[in-house]
Formats: sequence, C-alpha cells, structure tokens
Amino acid sequence: MILFFDFHVKDDPELVKEADRLGYAGLALFSNGNGNNSSGNGNKVEVASGETTNQENSTKKENPIKTYKGIFISAKNPESMRQKVKKSRKNADVIMVRGGDQKINRAACEDPQVDILSAPYLKRRDCGINHVMAKKAALNEVAVELNIKYLTKTNSYLHYKVLSHFREIIKLERKYGFPLIITSDAESIYDLHTPQDLIALSGCFGLDREEAEAALSETPQKIIERSETRDKVVVDGVKIIE
Amino acid sequence: MKLKILPPHLRNKKRYLAFEVRSQNPLTRDEVISLIWGAAGGLYGSCGVSGFDLWVVKVWKCNSSGQNITKGILRCRRGKVDRVRSVFPVINRFKGKRVVFHTLGVSGTIKSARRKFIKEGSQSLF
Repeated sequence: MILFFDFHVKDDPELVKEADRLGYAGLALFSNGNGNNSSGNGNKVEVASGETTNQENSTKKENPIKTYKGIFISAKNPESMRQKVKKSRKNADVIMVRGGDQKINRAACEDPQVDILSAPYLKRRDCGINHVMAKKAALNEVAVELNIKYLTKTNSYLHYKVLSHFREIIKLERKYGFPLIITSDAESIYDLHTPQDLIALSGCFGLDREEAEAALSETPQKIIERSETRDKVVVDGVKIIE
Repeated sequence: MKLKILPPHLRNKKRYLAFEVRSQNPLTRDEVISLIWGAAGGLYGSCGVSGFDLWVVKVWKCNSSGQNITKGILRCRRGKVDRVRSVFPVINRFKGKRVVFHTLGVSGTIKSARRKFIKEGSQSLF
C-alpha cells in the first residue's frame, strides 16, 4: 500500500484528524501560515516551532498519523533567506521557502538546506523556474511544490493559467528530474482532499498516475529521510555511521 | 411511441461514484447538482462533459455532530471515472460559504455503492 503525505498544512489538531480520516499517513505542520510570517525574526520562529513540538506530541498519542514540524520562510531577499534557513534548520524537519520572487526562487534552488520551494509561480506570469534553476534544484534535491489551493483559490476563468504553469514545471521536471511535490496548503478542513482525488486532478495538468503517486508519496518520504540523516553528514558524500 | 431499448452491447457502460459533501450551510439536491455541473463545465467545458454522462442518482442528508454532511451517488461513463473525480477538488465555495467534496469510492452498481460507501445511519432521503 502506498503511504500518502501532505507537506503543507496549517498546525491544527482538527486538520490532523481530518487528514487521518482521508487516508494520509503523514503531515508536515506549519504554524506560521502562508506568507503571513512577517519578516520573521529569529525569536518568532523559535517560539512558533516550540508550540509545534507540544502539539506534535499530543497528536502523536491520539492518532497513528505522523506529523512533522515544518518552518515556512518568506524572505525579501536571498541573503535574509539564507540566514533564516540556517537559523531554523535544526528546529525543523521540513523547510519550505516561499517562492514568487525570481531571485528567491533561484537562491532556494541553489541551497541544499532547503527542502521545498513553495509556489515559485506565485503572483507571476510565468512558472517561476527556468532550466538553470531546474538543474540546480535537481542537484540540491529541492522539491518544487504544486499548490492545489493556489489552483482552487484563483478564479475559475483563470484556472487555465495556473494549470499551464504546472505544465511548464512538469515539462522541466521530466527533463531535469528535480523532485516534485503536490500539497494542499490547507488552512481549514475544506481545503483537504483525498489523495486519490488529487491524483485524478493531476491528470489535468499532465501528470500520469505513477508520477502523481510519486509526488504525493515518494518525494515527502525522501525529504524526511534526508532530514533524519542530515546531522550525520559531514560533507557531501561523507556520512558518520555508528 | 417509446424508443426500443438498446441492446446491452450498445449501451454505455456505467460506473457509480459515491461522494460526500461537507459544507458550512446545508445543501439541497439541486445545489449539489449545480455545483458539480458548474465545476465540471469550468474544468472540461461542454465538449468534455458531454462525454461523461453525468447524472446525480440520489442524495442523502446525514448530518452528524454539528457538521452538514451530504452523501450521494453520481453516475458517469466507465473509463471517465478519473476525469469526473478530478472535478471534486476544484469545488470549494458555494454562495460565499465553504464546501468540500470527497470521493468515497467507485462501484459498478447503485446497490453496492450504497452498501459499501453510504452507511445505514443516513436514512433521511430527499
């Protein structure tokens, strides 16, 4: 059986319960919502992540569903993005960087500490990444997010635009092989969908069944695997084995 | 005069999708139908939807613990199940209130769809 994960969910016990009912095996919870993280000074990030650990423990007891701690970083320039990533790397299982700005998109693709580049097409007219960034993302294993809420949030007569952005990203993914991840970005139970429905929807932007399953299941598992072994890696390619 | 019924090999093969709607306001059958039709038309257009043979067979109201839950069975053509399913995540609002559709399962007959996916507690039909 395939385990499905949703790696962009607001930190809320109700959402965890609902996701469990819908058949997810794990979630990454983000306590600082989408983009609301004002320039995010260090203290704020730490406090927010501290809350997550408490709730994480409580939800673990209630549900068999696994939860991971995520930190959402929205920065104004690449420099501050790198600093914030460095600061919060140890506190988080998953680090997601808010895309949209071309320079930040590129900096996130070039940083191996970043796990997910969230919505590089945010408020843009193009898909936000090009072949150069795609190569870097593949090298550094930075996953690019396809945000389902971004699709449903846009007016229905502009759906075609979002779908074409997704298609562009998928075209690059097929060529350069960076990881792809489909997330719901859920803030309420009305944003969550069953994994099977999402797989069916991904047919709309040209992913076939295997690719969609990989985006919902393999990529998140790899991200978690990487974050678990990250402490033991000394340099690229050298790992401490006990 | 009524048309003679088609021989079985010429009839369109069907599949039945059991679905569930959670909404902030209670929905009627007509509202569920208009939501599905609107979203399907928006995503695939008249050309695509004409090949789906969509039909809402029956809708049940089964509220529990303060939540408005509506369950129903949607008929579609065999082979188009994935496309019909993909319509559900696109539906998110109705008259300014939030709604969400989930697929409960796919079945070959109405009877088994009802038995497997729509539980006994949901008797109030409308």
